[in-house]
Formats: sequence, structure tokens, C-alpha cells
Amino acid sequence: MFKVSKVIVLLITFVYILTGCTTDSKNIDDQAYAIMVGIDKGVDNKIRLTVQFPTYKGGGNGSSSGGGGGNSDEKEHGLVDGTVVVSIECATVLEGINLLNTSTSRHISLVHCKAMIFSEQLAQEGINFYLSDFARFRETRRIANIGVCRGKAEEYIMENKTLIGDNIFKSIELSFSQSKNSGLFPMMGFTNFYKSTISPYSQAYSIYMGINNFKNLQNSDKEKNPPLKTHENYYPGDVPKKGNLKQEMIGTAIFNGDKLVGTLNAEETRYFLMVVNEFRHGILTIEDKRHPGMAIPFDLRPGRKPDIKVSFDKSTPIIDVNLNIEADIVGIQSGMHYESTDRIKELSDLLKDTIEGGVSKTIKRVQKQMGTDIFGFGYYAASKFITINDLEKYNWLSHFIDAKINVSVRTNIRRTGLVAETVPVRYRNRTAK
Amino acid sequence: MTNERKFGTAEAVYLTTLVIASKAFYTSIRVMIKITGTAAWYMTIVSCLTSIIFFLLISLVMKRFPGKNLVEIFELVTGRFFGKILTLVFSAYFVYYAGSSLREFLEMIKAYNLPYTPPSLIIFAFMAVVVVLAYIGLEGMVRFASVIFYPVLIGIALILFLAYPYYNVRAIFPIGGYGIAETLKSGFFRSSAYDEVIILAFIINSIDGVKKFRKVGVLSLFISGIVFTSNCLCNIMAFDYTMSSENVSDLFQLARVIYFSRFFQRIESIFLFIWILASLITVGLAFYIAISSFCKAFKISNHRPLILQFAFLTFMVTLLPEGLIQLAKTNIVVLREYSMILVYGIPVLILFISVIFGKRGDSKCLKSVK
Repeated sequence: MFKVSKVIVLLITFVYILTGCTTDSKNIDDQAYAIMVGIDKGVDNKIRLTVQFPTYKGGGNGSSSGGGGGNSDEKEHGLVDGTVVVSIECATVLEGINLLNTSTSRHISLVHCKAMIFSEQLAQEGINFYLSDFARFRETRRIANIGVCRGKAEEYIMENKTLIGDNIFKSIELSFSQSKNSGLFPMMGFTNFYKSTISPYSQAYSIYMGINNFKNLQNSDKEKNPPLKTHENYYPGDVPKKGNLKQEMIGTAIFNGDKLVGTLNAEETRYFLMVVNEFRHGILTIEDKRHPGMAIPFDLRPGRKPDIKVSFDKSTPIIDVNLNIEADIVGIQSGMHYESTDRIKELSDLLKDTIEGGVSKTIKRVQKQMGTDIFGFGYYAASKFITINDLEKYNWLSHFIDAKINVSVRTNIRRTGLVAETVPVRYRNRTAK
Repeated sequence: MTNERKFGTAEAVYLTTLVIASKAFYTSIRVMIKITGTAAWYMTIVSCLTSIIFFLLISLVMKRFPGKNLVEIFELVTGRFFGKILTLVFSAYFVYYAGSSLREFLEMIKAYNLPYTPPSLIIFAFMAVVVVLAYIGLEGMVRFASVIFYPVLIGIALILFLAYPYYNVRAIFPIGGYGIAETLKSGFFRSSAYDEVIILAFIINSIDGVKKFRKVGVLSLFISGIVFTSNCLCNIMAFDYTMSSENVSDLFQLARVIYFSRFFQRIESIFLFIWILASLITVGLAFYIAISSFCKAFKISNHRPLILQFAFLTFMVTLLPEGLIQLAKTNIVVLREYSMILVYGIPVLILFISVIFGKRGDSKCLKSVK
């Protein structure tokens, strides 16, 4: 009898516990995992929120389900390449997602969200309202990328498709990691971005992105001899190309606090990434001085971590930036034998001047035009102060604009690719009769 | 107390260290960084050193009364009546400690993992395990601590190590934090965060002599100091002093940002696993010591009939704060900033009284001590 009562008590206990647990239990299949979230300025309400999530048709992981919104019915439902893109006007991000749940068969979750995109217009007004929502919300993926979209975030997300492979989650994650291969846009996770907006040491920056409508590629003109343009002064949407995805990540969006104050183009971004030690490698093309109109592309990588020193002349900061960049020659269009010791030195100096000039110009532009320390020089300056009160009283972020900045670059051409010595192309010097 | 048998030095170190260091999972790191900024990592070293000094003073009391636990010493020095009152004060403190720690666990698990689960259910489930631990007794808890000690420590080390891409060593500057005076003051009072080491004085008879008691205490404080220091340092380097003082749990946030590739991310499950284990030991031991000291005060040989009554009291304490804000502003402040006045103050006072009045333990027992 005693045993029976024990069993009954245990059963009641388990029933109580198991039913209680159902409130937070979530079946993976019961949720729709947002891939990207875009925030634009609203028309009738504060913001227009755009969320993309997979349809789970044809593979279950956001893979394509018969086209990218080809017919009008699919367009009306926001079907894009195996995903649903839905926009809503709302007061806050989380309220918007809550409202979207009323017309979605599964709970929209942010736990696997890959990126949060803000429109340029909204970013200029300040985005802390929305960031603080994300910072407090339990579901936010703290490593989601932050981007600023040239134009509307909604339009950018509408173009968020995968052309290589079926899995859109994988595709997006890999596209962000292209930063390490090209060095033409930064990677910026939510945590670091949010930290920078409240930091006394440095200020925030993010990926700059946009849509390329393939209108920059000029029609061929046989009469014209095209000039050599080695400067990659591109902003999102400007790259002269055709085909592939329309969405483009290129350049850097620069913030003062939570407000967008300027942007860097592709080339400036590369130099900026060198200073903040985020540059992994990338191709830089330089015009051959001996053969104008011919290019020499280099594969660059950092030789050492940047050596940055901050000192003070009274209250004016003096910043010394020393970079060490290594390079491999990956092409010599002129066919000239540059591989000898003295000519390598010549190339190295050319490279040094180019990078030094580029870095100096980029820093100066950011400092004088935008007045924002996205380089994190404040971290180096902080060691000159004893207490946090001293640092905050000095207000590094305001003094950065007055800083004297000296840039020095040391370059070293290590290798010449798979060609050790260039042999010039031979032409016949007699014409055929 | 039938289950208070002897156990080894290592096991005692595991038990005490887990109880002290488990605070790294909670709001402690955030509060330390909020108060002292970039100086938090060495402020906690000051706390650790203060605790070691106090602990060594307490060990002098234990040395004067060989073979006696703190409850018995209270009675020997202050008389039976006042001795009982002092013991009951400690018993009440440990009930408060267990309840507040459980509430802190509850608030965090609701914030991060189970936002919609009824709090009573979480408390009930947690208390059920704590009651079982208390029922099994001290020996069971010690064995449990021995099993989970390395997984917990390795788990913390793993989180701290894997988050290294976020670390910026320069974020530890300005090195002075909010000023040396604030650091020293906070360091002294925050030694409360280490004062669980007093538990050893209640279970000294299981530790085999004052020498081992001292060794266990100092080692536990030392390891806990390393855990707190490394946690503070890593969080300051990862989040700066600004964002670190915002997060509810800095260690959890650190676990959430770990990302190496598409295949190696979202490892907060490690955190959950070790966090719950460490919390069980913390609340379980405090709960047991509360009952145990009560039993010792009233010479009750078996603690088991009192478990449910104390579970009810702990449950009541758990429900006292209205929410996380009140918990952080009252309960946690009492436990982590001012409890040292009680926990270290009373035994040190007892030491002074015993020295002034020349009270000592039994000379026969004294000979048995090395």
C-alpha cells in the first residue's frame, strides 16, 4: 500500500513537471528561422521591417523551391528563391516580428539570423533604438553581421538569393567571410558593433552593401582604347559587372555613436582594414611606372601586426602608425624581368608609396571629414591615462579630430608566384611577303 | 550528523572551490566591472587576499579549539545561550544564501533559456535535487563535487579560451579603473564573495585537523581567485568595461559570441551544462550547512527530518525579491558586499574574546593536533 502511494506521488510530480516544461519547449520544426532582417524608415509607422525566412520546401534548409518568385502569385507572397521575404510597418523590431507571427504558420525566430541590415537613411538618423532591442532580446544571434544598405534594406533582402548551391544559410555565411579573401569590406558582428557604439575608445563601423543593377558595364566600343584604372573607388552597386548576384558588399559604413556619418569605398576599406589588423589578404593592382598602361597585381597580406603608438603633445594626440605588409607578385603585364634584386626593391618602393599614400589619405579622410575614430586609436591612448575618470574627462573621441597622425609602411615582396624569372614575349621583326 | 564522515583534502578543495567560484556564472563579474571598471581583475585579487587573511585568522580560532567545529566553539567561548544564537544567525544566513542563489539562478535561466516556464516549476525542480543532495548528506555532496569539479573548471576555461578572437588586451587600460581607493575599498568588501570558505569551519571534523583545514581553505580561495580574475580579465578584454557592466551574465555572453566557422559556433550548451551542475552544489551545500548547523546547535543527531522544513524556508526566501532588479539591489549586495561583516566578523570576534579571556580547547585534543 505504501509503495502504491509513493508511485502515485511520483506520477503526479512527473505530470506536473512535464506539463510545465511544455511552455518553453520548442520543436525545431515549429519555427521559421529568420535568415536576414532589414530595417528601413517607415511611412505610416516608425520603421519598415523586412524579414526573410526559408519555406523549407525542396530540401528543408531554405533550398530553392522552383524559381525565384517568377510568377505573379509567388511575387505577391514574397517568395524568393526558396524563402519568404515579408515586410511590415511597425514601431519596434520585436513588435514587427510578433505581428508577422499572425500570418506565419511557424514562430519566426532570430536565433539563426545571419545579418541585420539598416537602410542608409535610417542609419543617418541613428539606430540605437533598434540595436538596444536586439541587445536585450534573448533570441538575437550575437554574431549576426551588421550592414548598412545603400538604398532600401527591403530591396537588398529581396535580392538575397543563392546561385551557388542550394543552402541559402550557407551561402550567406560564406558571402560574409569573403571579407577575408578580398579585403574590400569589413566583417562586423553585432556584439562588436554594439560595443563600439558605447565605447569611449573607438567608434563603430559596419559592412556597406547595396544592389548592383548591372547598368555600370558599358557597351563595348571598338574605337576607344580603354585606360588602365587601378583604383578601386567602388561603392556598393558601382562595380562594372554583369551576371551573378545583384547584391554587393563593398566598402565600409562609418558611424559616430549610432549615426552613420560617412562611407569608405573599396580601396579605402582595404587600407582601413590594414590599420585595424583585419586585413587578411587581397589583390592590389599598381600601374607599372616603366610601362604606363600596364599593370602589376600583388597579393598582399600583413607581415606583422600594426605597430601603433599614441603620445601626447600637451593635450594634442600624436599617433604613429607603422604597417608591415608582405606581397607576392601575381602578374607582370609588361613581361619585364622585375625579379632581380634591385628591381624587386624598385617594385617594393612603388608598393610602399602606394600603400602609404592610400593609408594616409584614408585616415585623413576619416579623421577630418567624419571625425570618427573607427581605427580604435583610443585603445592605445587609454594606456596614457591612470583612471577611467581621466579618460572619460579627456574624451578621446572628441580629441581624435585634432590628432597628428604619421603613417609609415614597410613592404616586402617575398615571392613571385610560380614564375621565377619572366621571359619576354618574342615577336617576329620581319613581315611576311 | 550521521553522514559527516571524513573525506580527503582534494575532495574538500573541490567542494569549497565550486561553491565559491560558481558565482562567475552569475551577475558577480558584471557588478565587479561596474564598480571598479578596468581594475576589476585585480580588485578581486585584493578580495581573495583579504579572504585568505581572514581565513587564516579563523584557522587560529580553530587551532585554539582542536577537534571542535565552529558551532561548538561559539558555545565554548560565549556560553550556550549566545553560542546557540550565533549558530542560528549562521543557519539563517545560509538559508538566505541558498534562497538568494537559487533566485539568481532562476532569474538568469528565465532571462536566457526558459522565459515562459513558470518560476515555481524551476524552483520546485531545482529544490527537489537540492533536497535529495541534503538527504544523502555531506559525503554524497563531496563525491558529487569531485565528479563535476573538472568538467566545470574545464568548461569555464574552454569558454574563456575559445573567445580569444574577441580579446583586445588594450581594453584593460586605464589600468587604475575608477581609482585605487575605490578598488581597495571594493576589494575589501567584495571579499564577501569568497566568504563561503567559512563552510569549512562547520565541517572541520570531516577534514582531519587544522593543518588540512588551512590547506583546503587557502587552496580553494586561491583557485577561486584565479577563476574570478581570469573571468574579469577576459570579459573586460572582450566587451570593454562599458559593455561588460551591461550584461546580465558576462560569461554566458562570452559563450554566445564564440564563432570559428560555420561548424563551430553556438556553444552555450557547455555553459548551461556546467552552470547548472555548479549551481546545484552551491545551493545544495548552503542548504545542508543551514540544517546541519541548526542540528548542531540543538544537538539533533539526524538532520533528515528537518529537510522539508528548511526547504520551505528556502523557498520563501527565493520568493522574497520581486524581480531581478530587487534581487541585485538587495540580496546580491548583502551576499557579495556585506556578508563578510557577519561571516568573517563573528569568528574573528570569537578569536579576540577567546584570546582576551584565555579560553582554549581541551588539552587532550590539542595533543592530537600536529
